[in-house]
Amino acid sequence: MKNVIRELREKRGWSQGDLADRLEVSRQTVNAIENERYDPSLPLAFALARLFEKPIEKLFSDK
Amino acid sequence: MGCEMLEREVKKVYLRELFGALAIYAVVLVAALHFGRAMPEGTVRTAVLLSPSLPFFLAVWAVARQVGRMDEYLRLSALQDIAIVCAVTAGWTFTYGFLENAGFPRLSMFTVWPVMGGTWLVVGALRCFRNR
Repeated sequence: MKNVIRELREKRGWSQGDLADRLEVSRQTVNAIENERYDPSLPLAFALARLFEKPIEKLFSDK
Repeated sequence: MGCEMLEREVKKVYLRELFGALAIYAVVLVAALHFGRAMPEGTVRTAVLLSPSLPFFLAVWAVARQVGRMDEYLRLSALQDIAIVCAVTAGWTFTYGFLENAGFPRLSMFTVWPVMGGTWLVVGALRCFRNR
């Protein structure tokens, strides 16, 4: 699944570690999501949507 | 506490629990071999020589606690790593079993764990490299 997490994170000037802190997950998890090696669970996807104040479908797409 | 700091703290707790368990295991192992071998044959001797298995379960408990502390991606990764490690170990032990049929020397079951542990280290190192 494609996502724009890296783009949104970099726009805010956060490191992967900063985002991981805010989501209460490991930096490896953020890295895997950004590199599209891992699709997050629904609760984590909602946490990302809340953090970036965007609907989930704006963060993830299957195209 | 930040997550990276939390991650380090979690790893520290895990390593303390794991190496604590392994240290107890080593002490019990040495004591069991020292006293057990000299004892006369019987149930007590078997129990003494078997006793290192008990602290080994402390290490299993430390690993189980660590799995409980992992987040969703790390838990999935660990599961994938273990699946690969089990497959490699099964492949190796079966292959060597066939080689034994062909006349190779019989190996002790104790050789299984070093194969598994070594594979686990390699798979873990590759995973770390990938997650950088």
